[in-house]
Amino acid sequence: MELAAAGVSKAFVTKGGGHLVALAGIDLEVRSGTFVSLLGPSGCGKSTLLRILGGLEQASTGTVAGTGATGATGGRRAFVFQDYSLFPWLNVLDNVAFGLRMDGVGRQERTDRARAWLARVGLAGFESAYPEQLSGGMRQRLSLARAFVTEPDVLFMDEPMGAVDPQTRLLLQEDLIRIWEETRKTVLLVTHSIEEAILLGDRVVVMTARPGRVKLDLPVELDRPRTLATSATPAFSELRSLLWDALRDEVERSMDLS
Amino acid sequence: MSGPAGTLAAGAAGTGEAGVAGVAGGELGAALGRLRRRQRRRRRTDLALSIATPVALVGLWQLAADQHWVDPRIFTPPSQIAVAAGQLISAGTLPSDLGYTLARLLVGYAIGAAAGVVVGLLLGLVRPLRAALSPLFTALYAVPQIALLPLLLVIFGIGETPKVLTVVAVTFFVLEINALAAVRNFDPRLLEAGRAYGANGRKLFRHVLLPGALPQIFTGLRVSIALGLVVITATEFVASNNGLGFLVWNSWQLFQPDQMYVGLVTIAVVGVLLTAVITLVERLALPWLHHRHR
Ligand SMILES: Nc1ncnc2c1ncn2[C@@H]1O[C@H](COP(=O)(O)OP(=O)(O)OP(=O)(O)O)[C@@H](O)[C@H]1O
Ligand SMILES: [Mg+2]
Repeated sequence: MELAAAGVSKAFVTKGGGHLVALAGIDLEVRSGTFVSLLGPSGCGKSTLLRILGGLEQASTGTVAGTGATGATGGRRAFVFQDYSLFPWLNVLDNVAFGLRMDGVGRQERTDRARAWLARVGLAGFESAYPEQLSGGMRQRLSLARAFVTEPDVLFMDEPMGAVDPQTRLLLQEDLIRIWEETRKTVLLVTHSIEEAILLGDRVVVMTARPGRVKLDLPVELDRPRTLATSATPAFSELRSLLWDALRDEVERSMDLS
Repeated sequence: MSGPAGTLAAGAAGTGEAGVAGVAGGELGAALGRLRRRQRRRRRTDLALSIATPVALVGLWQLAADQHWVDPRIFTPPSQIAVAAGQLISAGTLPSDLGYTLARLLVGYAIGAAAGVVVGLLLGLVRPLRAALSPLFTALYAVPQIALLPLLLVIFGIGETPKVLTVVAVTFFVLEINALAAVRNFDPRLLEAGRAYGANGRKLFRHVLLPGALPQIFTGLRVSIALGLVVITATEFVASNNGLGFLVWNSWQLFQPDQMYVGLVTIAVVGVLLTAVITLVERLALPWLHHRHR
């Protein structure tokens, strides 16, 4: 088992002295080499769960197994953050190479590897630009490259394609499918796109409105290798409507909450 | 927590955009050329205005003194100030006063800045230390540093030490406050990203916290050089028999306004030049701050 959460809850103390329960008793197991997609209404605690599983945040109660060191390649984990979290003082190349540098990879090697990934996400030619000079979609692709270049065993991705334009998104999804099918990393992907969740995932987990619990844990038994054509099959449509039914109630509830 | 919404995204492939500026020909090239020319023209206009205004004022001053619209014994005409400056330079007093003031200022500034940055960062990182010292330092900063001078004179006598220490004090507090604020207001998401990619302890400090704090540290450096100049000038008014402050004060007492103006102008020029040097160093050290396009 690569990752396991048992009875994980998370409460935050809010500014006014009150509190907010983000997660309430999450049980989730992720086997090595599987791709798990996480769906849920906005604010239900997906990012929080991801951070807890990744060892960046402590659970309030419950146990988390498999989150040890968080070194990029030492602990073999990498993150794609929802708001990119790129380092504004580093140029594009140095941002991508950051994890490798922290792991003591030599300059020549990390430059080569970073360049290769920049080319793959369509950012070749922007090596010396700073993140602030990039568009939102470009920043997101940069943050994908920063994660992939470390060749992690476990990859945590928080809406990694939310700000990418639809065309690039399709290309990146295909890329992601191909890379994953070649390498079989353990991946936890938070997304708001049901299609993306199905297309990429071995399982799709749907969370409830806040406080987040696991509402549905659906295996995706579609043949691999998958392509965009997979999304035109009847089996795909069936999964999509199942997931939408589960999600719709929660989205409505979360709208009522706020 | 959420990133920019919607699609700010560029075209599907990133490669095209970088190329545009280089290979643009025809209409696009012409448009870019126009844009560049307009920017250059604007910069030239700005520069011309920034020089023309003081020159015009000096001209007006000269005219007003010549025509006795103002009392030339108090408002010494610029031509006479220039003559006085020439005399002070050839007599060697202006260079020597300038040297004294610069030495006191720069030594005090270097010590105060180094100590202020180190202490500010430490207070930012170590909570008990911050709780113990930060309110005290803030209170001390509120005391005008020049008010410490009599005390310093009592303790250290009339040497160089108390003069330099007034500059040390003001520089220290400004940098301590700025470095502390830089750490306290640091974007927690960047710290998280640093940790997630293997930067812990020393590495996190060196590769994330420090580079992220530098802009505000530079703000402190820029502010405190000007304050330091104010403080050393005031100190030399009352507790020195050399330096630019002494030149101004002594000229006033001997009623030599032309020499007083030479001192004032020199102080102003020193202030402008030192601030410009720091701005230049900042531009070189933090190229990323000046590459923003919005
Ligand atoms: N550090 C924090 N302090 C206080 N409250 C927090 C903190 N982090 C998250 N929260 C709250 O916890 C809840 C869950 O947040 P989280 O970011 O995990 O949601 P999410 O499911 O990722 O939402 P979205 O889809 O909009 O990204 C939200 O109500 C949020 O306001
Ligand atoms: Mg989120």
